[in-house]
Amino acid sequence: MSRIERGVTRPEPITIVIDGETVPAFSGETVAVAILARDQLRFRDDRSGRARGMFCNMGTCGECTVWVGAEQGAWERLRACLVPVRPGLEVCRCPPEDER
Amino acid sequence: MASQVSTADVLIVGGGLIGCASAWHLADHGLAIELVERGHINAGASGQNAGSLHFQIERRFLEQGEQAAREGAVIVLLSKLAIGDWATLEDRLGRPLDIAMHGGLMVAETEAELDLLAFKVGRENELGLSTVLLDAAELRAHSRCLSPALAGAAWLAEEGHANPRILTDAYAQAAKQRGAVLHTGTRVTRLTMEQDGTYRVQLVEAGKERTVLARKVLLAAGHWSTRLANMLGLNLPLYPAPLTMSVTDRADPMLPFLVQHVGQRLSMKQTDDGNLLIGGGWPSRLERGEDGLPDLDRPALVDSANLRANLEVAARVMPALRQRSLLRTWTGTTCVSADQLPIVGEISAAPGLFVAAGGSLFTLGPVLARLLAQTIATGTMAEEIALFSPARFAKLDAFAVLP
Ligand SMILES: Cc1cc2nc3c(=O)[nH]c(=O)nc-3n(C[C@H](O)[C@H](O)[C@H](O)COP(=O)(O)OP(=O)(O)OC[C@H]3O[C@@H](n4cnc5c(N)ncnc54)[C@H](O)[C@@H]3O)c2cc1C
Ligand code: FES
Repeated sequence: MSRIERGVTRPEPITIVIDGETVPAFSGETVAVAILARDQLRFRDDRSGRARGMFCNMGTCGECTVWVGAEQGAWERLRACLVPVRPGLEVCRCPPEDER
Repeated sequence: MASQVSTADVLIVGGGLIGCASAWHLADHGLAIELVERGHINAGASGQNAGSLHFQIERRFLEQGEQAAREGAVIVLLSKLAIGDWATLEDRLGRPLDIAMHGGLMVAETEAELDLLAFKVGRENELGLSTVLLDAAELRAHSRCLSPALAGAAWLAEEGHANPRILTDAYAQAAKQRGAVLHTGTRVTRLTMEQDGTYRVQLVEAGKERTVLARKVLLAAGHWSTRLANMLGLNLPLYPAPLTMSVTDRADPMLPFLVQHVGQRLSMKQTDDGNLLIGGGWPSRLERGEDGLPDLDRPALVDSANLRANLEVAARVMPALRQRSLLRTWTGTTCVSADQLPIVGEISAAPGLFVAAGGSLFTLGPVLARLLAQTIATGTMAEEIALFSPARFAKLDAFAVLP
């Protein structure tokens, strides 16, 4: 899924890290947008290992939950459709290795 | 066109825990049972609650005076029966119900609160409930996940929690197997008494009206029971209590117990899946209807100040909570009676009309439904629940005209 280019002006890209890979994103986008822009529909796996993805895009369903880097190396599980990107933000779609 | 008329021995209004459990027990007495639920099974408080199994006595029964002592004694007796009912429920219903009875702590943050707990434990031990007082060091050794700043706690080994999302359905399925008939999407719109004392219950099911005639009716409609009694011109002093519940994301197992607080509104537990459930009685806000009165038919709204206060108490008691994300907060409405004791039994002014509502009817639901069903089937009030009889409010119906 690519970003609309025609008729849209964007600021300079920033970079965030999704599953260890540095990817471009634009300030004002949500983490969900940055994931979708990589053609990834899979946001997380349920406990039986089945793929789950963004559903409501408005914070209601909880299907888009990912791990987001927090202070002091901790991770928080947040709804990707509600979290704005910021430079250097770390996101994991699978449980991060250092997650307690 | 005349609406369809059928009969039942007992018509139960409400498909919550009380209604479904009563249907299961009553069907065992060989009675023809029809249960009507206007939404789906478990649509009310029974599907929204915290699922705590709390058997330590509440603070108000610790007050001085004969009445508080007498009521406390009855509650403890009932709690002991409830412990037995919960311990055998999975076997009797033949289904896993996520019942965890690994103990419960009622924590104290201050020395004054700890003194209150010490007094409480003394009272409970006299009454045969084996709570144990833990000081700060003992509590620390007992539960490492709780804050080291706590002053102590009262521990009861039989407390715990169960999954409110499956229990009512298990009762409903078991009731059907015993021959009870359950109708969902069926609302009671009118309730009257015939000259011979039979109840005429008017229903709307899928847009169609029909009538059930029953000698006995059980109002198991939670806080809506007041309105149903009103249909007969009767008064039940039950008041809605809209509450708040929250759940965090999954965490590694850390909290095998139920946690409550003696001085603050708090209940906390970890589900089998690892999510932490947080509640304890913080109010939510009922919306107003067109008439300007609280609208009991719409979900209550979360009050953000109360939500924050609830989470703050929880995180103070268990600091690891601060690392968790809140997944969801929801509201549910239960009810309390004028004297805060459940109202369970036959309504004096209306022979054959029974009610069970008010109070912690998840913890006490299984045992109360069992004893109420026995009361309905045999016509004799079970002694253990005599304290809860609606007879104590009979004077409110002094001006009722029946039939
Ligand atoms: C947030 C919250 C947390 C709680 N936590 C605990 C706890 O931890 N431990 C505990 O012991 N208790 C707890 N409680 C209380 C407990 O949930 C209730 O006491 C219990 O579920 C009541 O069950 P019930 O079957 O009487 O009512 P409900 O489950 O409310 O069922 C009543 C049913 O009647 C139906 N009904 C109403 N009007 C009509 C009509 N006219 N026609 C047909 N059907 C009708 C409704 O749709 C509803 O399904 C809590 C309650 C809430 C709201
Ligand atoms: S997609 Fe539903 S909460 Fe994000």
